[in-house]
Amino acid sequence: MSDYVIEMINITKKFPGIVANDNITLQLKKGEIHALLGENGAGKSTLMSVLFGLYQPEEGYIKKDGKKVIINSPNDATALHIGMVHQHFKLVEIFTVLDNIILGAEPTKYGFIERKKGAERIKKLSEQYGLSVDLNAVVEDITVGMQQRVEILKMLYRDNDILIFDEPTAVLTPQEIDELMKIMKNLAAEGKSILFITHKLNEIMSVADRCTVLRKGKCIGTVNVADTTKEELSEMMVGRKVEFSVQKPEITPGEVVLEVKNVSVASKIHKGEAVKNVSFNVRQGEIVCIAGIDGNGQTEFIHALSGLDKVKSGEILLKGKNITHAPIRERSKDGMSHIPEDRQKHGLVLDYSLEDNLVLQKYWEPEFVNKGFLRRKNIRKYAEKLIEQYDVRSGQGPITICRSMSGGNQQKAIVAREIDKNPDLLIAVQPTRGLDVGAIEYIHKQIVSQRNSMKAVLLVSLELDEVMDLSDRILVMYEGEIVGELDPKTTTVQELGLYMAGAKRNVGENHE
Amino acid sequence: MPLVLEYTLVFTTVLALVALGGMFSERSGVINLGLEGIMVIGALAGAIVTSVLSKANCPNFLNVIVSIIASMISGWLFSMLLGIACIKFKADQTITGTALNIMSTALAVVIARMYTKTPSSQVDYTRQIYMFSYDGNVGIFLIFMLVATFASYVFLFKTSGGLRLMSCGEHPQAADSVGINVYKERYLGVSISGILGGLGGFAYIVQSAGQWDFKYGVTGFGFLALAVMIFGQWKPIKILLAALVFGLCQTVAIIYSGTLGIPQFVYKMLPYIVCMIVLVLTSKKSRAPKAEGQPYDQGKR
Amino acid sequence: MNSTFKDKIKSVFSNLRNRIRDFFVKGKQEKSGLQKFLTTDAFKNFLSSVICVIIGLLVGIIVIVIVNAPNSAEAIASILKGGFNAPKWQRGVGSVLVNAIPLLLCSLSIIFAYKCGLFNIGAPGQYVIGAMFAFLGAFFLKAPWYVCLILSAIGGALWGIIPGFFKAFLSVNEVITSIMFNWIGLYLLNFVAGPEAGIMYNENLAECFILPKSSLLPTLGFDKMLSGYKYVTVAFYIAIILAIVVRIILNKTKFGYEIKATGNNKDAAKYAGMNYKRNLIITMAISGALAGIAAGCFYLTGYEVYSATKQTSLPAMGFNGIAAAFLGCLNPIGSIFSSLLITHINVGGGYLDTTYYSKEIGDLISSLIIYLCAFSLFIRLTITKIQNRKKELAEANNATPEKNPDVKEEKVGEKECH
Repeated sequence: MSDYVIEMINITKKFPGIVANDNITLQLKKGEIHALLGENGAGKSTLMSVLFGLYQPEEGYIKKDGKKVIINSPNDATALHIGMVHQHFKLVEIFTVLDNIILGAEPTKYGFIERKKGAERIKKLSEQYGLSVDLNAVVEDITVGMQQRVEILKMLYRDNDILIFDEPTAVLTPQEIDELMKIMKNLAAEGKSILFITHKLNEIMSVADRCTVLRKGKCIGTVNVADTTKEELSEMMVGRKVEFSVQKPEITPGEVVLEVKNVSVASKIHKGEAVKNVSFNVRQGEIVCIAGIDGNGQTEFIHALSGLDKVKSGEILLKGKNITHAPIRERSKDGMSHIPEDRQKHGLVLDYSLEDNLVLQKYWEPEFVNKGFLRRKNIRKYAEKLIEQYDVRSGQGPITICRSMSGGNQQKAIVAREIDKNPDLLIAVQPTRGLDVGAIEYIHKQIVSQRNSMKAVLLVSLELDEVMDLSDRILVMYEGEIVGELDPKTTTVQELGLYMAGAKRNVGENHE
Repeated sequence: MPLVLEYTLVFTTVLALVALGGMFSERSGVINLGLEGIMVIGALAGAIVTSVLSKANCPNFLNVIVSIIASMISGWLFSMLLGIACIKFKADQTITGTALNIMSTALAVVIARMYTKTPSSQVDYTRQIYMFSYDGNVGIFLIFMLVATFASYVFLFKTSGGLRLMSCGEHPQAADSVGINVYKERYLGVSISGILGGLGGFAYIVQSAGQWDFKYGVTGFGFLALAVMIFGQWKPIKILLAALVFGLCQTVAIIYSGTLGIPQFVYKMLPYIVCMIVLVLTSKKSRAPKAEGQPYDQGKR
Repeated sequence: MNSTFKDKIKSVFSNLRNRIRDFFVKGKQEKSGLQKFLTTDAFKNFLSSVICVIIGLLVGIIVIVIVNAPNSAEAIASILKGGFNAPKWQRGVGSVLVNAIPLLLCSLSIIFAYKCGLFNIGAPGQYVIGAMFAFLGAFFLKAPWYVCLILSAIGGALWGIIPGFFKAFLSVNEVITSIMFNWIGLYLLNFVAGPEAGIMYNENLAECFILPKSSLLPTLGFDKMLSGYKYVTVAFYIAIILAIVVRIILNKTKFGYEIKATGNNKDAAKYAGMNYKRNLIITMAISGALAGIAAGCFYLTGYEVYSATKQTSLPAMGFNGIAAAFLGCLNPIGSIFSSLLITHINVGGGYLDTTYYSKEIGDLISSLIIYLCAFSLFIRLTITKIQNRKKELAEANNATPEKNPDVKEEKVGEKECH
């Protein structure tokens, strides 16, 4: 018997124009938690897709328990008892928890599902590993944390003993993260082997036994977590020293730019309100951050603020002007810029050229349109200016189709467009999601420089580090309410987590 | 049997059969706009086979069985044109469905003329052998429809096959990740829609008349069936009830046409207008399978 | 024995393959104009359309042979000859033009809506309502031709607005609404033009009366050019001009920018402050107007007299517009050629000997072409793949500098030509 349950030896996987995995070796011991660290685009997903049978490597091979195996499809991987919790959960929303767990491995008699039998088995598993779920609940009604437990149970139900967790903490509160870490340790203690994909160093330090670091498709090395430091790991990941904090000069905020008064927004999912009675303001020269776990009303609030959806009650004032029911275009003209949460859904017309996307918020201005006809020359000139000024890289310059650009450059194009509007209020929603460290640093700098030039910035972020680093004030949103206002200088991540989980609040209680 | 009831049963049978077919296709993730065309082809095959067998003095029982099977098989074959285009080649489902509808009428006329060997595309057949009573309008298709409704319900909600099929229409990536072959399930869904659509087409013409001119297609019944499916919320029992409502509507349109001082054309429009009203009323709460209309590509995850 | 033959074929094929490869590879190295053109989307679209037509025709020919083999040669010839079957070829060309004009307009209707992300399967309905308005103008108002033509556009626009309205305000899918309103429109026209209303119905012939002279479109000398064929009219210019106008609106104007943005990404369009509902309804109105004026341009020539009692199913013109639109790669100028081609085939179908064949073989071919057009994405991707393979080979030979890793491989073929 080999020491290792899974070995991926000298894996090379190429895509047209890029080597996604270059001679990577990864060895997983039985009962260990092995972290796979790397930036976005470092090749983590590709490597896991190879292990899962989604891609075939050009070179290299895989061994299970010392024996060479060929994995051609996810079914082969399942047969080898390899299971994965995907970053985006793969759950059928309208099915019950029970149906989701048994899907594809249903206990049947003459083709009829024996749901009772399945439920009994799942109950046993959930007791054994401390994973509580409500089997009869419909998935779309349960919390993200429970959805993740459903995903874990799916793997256990299939008797998987090699468990892959793909960025599992992105959607969880600090407390839920702690609980997940406990579950992972539990699983490892019961003899399961865990591969833990992440780019968060704290989590690696707290649970992982060993860590393999990838950078730009290459394997940088495997280290024992006990023998290393956070700084060392991050240098391995990025290839240079990283500044963990953002430099921010002290400035005194100026006049109020945005005033939100008792705003409520109706929910699209249930009959109640997604945003309840939210009030706050943002002044010139400050970054106010709305923190919270995904799905606590931030998206709905921003949609209402930017005009994508309707406000149910309350008022929004921009520079003293009531814009509660103003159309989007008017808000934009009045000085609101919006870096949307989902750059591909809202931020860009992916099949348009870069230049057409760069004028998306301006194409109607006389500079770009004359008697209904577009002034192509001016559009080109303007696009070239922005591309140079904001260092947007693309294959063919202004005529590149945005779909073909990398995520970082797509985001840069949006940031360029929104900042160049010279707004009074910049709304940035998860502006660094899915980007690599270089792009994150760049975008953070841009946001801070807006603040420094006395613009008002409203930032919505799920990344606690980003919240703590950038903001001047933190508002915590929980179940549609602002439950806390915190000063990043005096608060800790742990405390922030308590607010985010709804365990603590310091505003809003008197209103009820 | 009172005429109203008789006609209502006839139309309900057809609409429910075809709508159930559409349901299977959409539940698996493929919008089947080609139901109209599938009905035409099923009707054609059934009509020609039964006509041939009658001439050959085939026993009635055998004649009925063979013709019905012929209509199902031809409906299935025709639906595979949609299946292959949309599942394997990821073609646009709406365009493909529309192409099938146009193709079906042209093809049916060409084939019908080959069969009749005259410039007419009208096929004659003995409809009485399909009916409960010699002069009645209600045929054995009613039984097929009831069985199909019940079986669909059991299949979808009680068996693993149904669970898997539905998962492909809702979240194909999830289905794929647990080892379900999305392509296979979608072929299954489209196949069932072809079989039921073909049968429904045959049921329609046989219960309506003793001869059928194929240049008229099936006069928009396939589209009404789609509306029935939406009204029935992609659920078998509700589809049956929805079909009953639409069947009654169609019956009123035919039986009372030209009476009550209302011009005939208003009656002709009635089913379509009712359909629009129903769609408007149900559009807010209607919940189509989430992934329908989106081609599934294993490469993109 | 057999193997030598196989080898021969193999060598011929590999020879051919190498030659093609050399051709493309060289193209990559030298970047001459022609070879650059071969990798453009326009060329890929063109090639995929040609492939669709060829396969469609081949299947049509197979059907002809199956139906009646002994006479098939003649039949295939008449399909291919199209309008040139006529004893006087000018008149044949005329009959192609008369039918191609409304087809082009219908395809423009489809294209316009499609660019806004709408599938206007309601073109047949807008077409019949356009005809109804034109007839009402001619028989009821005794209006001159240009008024009738404008009325037909208005009628079509109204019928187009309905699904637009249902989609914008009641969120009902435009496809299903359009289908329902196609039938409602047909029954409405048949009421107005039929015996029940009795405004324009000629009981003796069971069809509409002949249109008054003042309502007929002027021929502008086309009749002299086409040896007395009097049905090609001003509509010819109207259609061509509208094709150019549609192209200009789509590519050069702010409105075109907005509707294409809406079609490509509804959410981004909304985010950019575009008025989605207004644009949607205007688009459907324009699209409907194009389909409506198509009917005006057809029936106001006097080429065909409408019969409410005979027309019991939706006219094929609107549906064939879909074929012409997709065959023309959703390009207004491309659809000029595709509608001529489809009409050519359909007119050829009309010359088939009806004792052996039915004229629907022409329809069958055009429906096959729509079906195949649904594969065009696949065909274009395949062309791209083949070209990329050559390119990689060329790069391997040349050891070209590595690509900018920041730029992902372009996903070609997923967008339509502009």
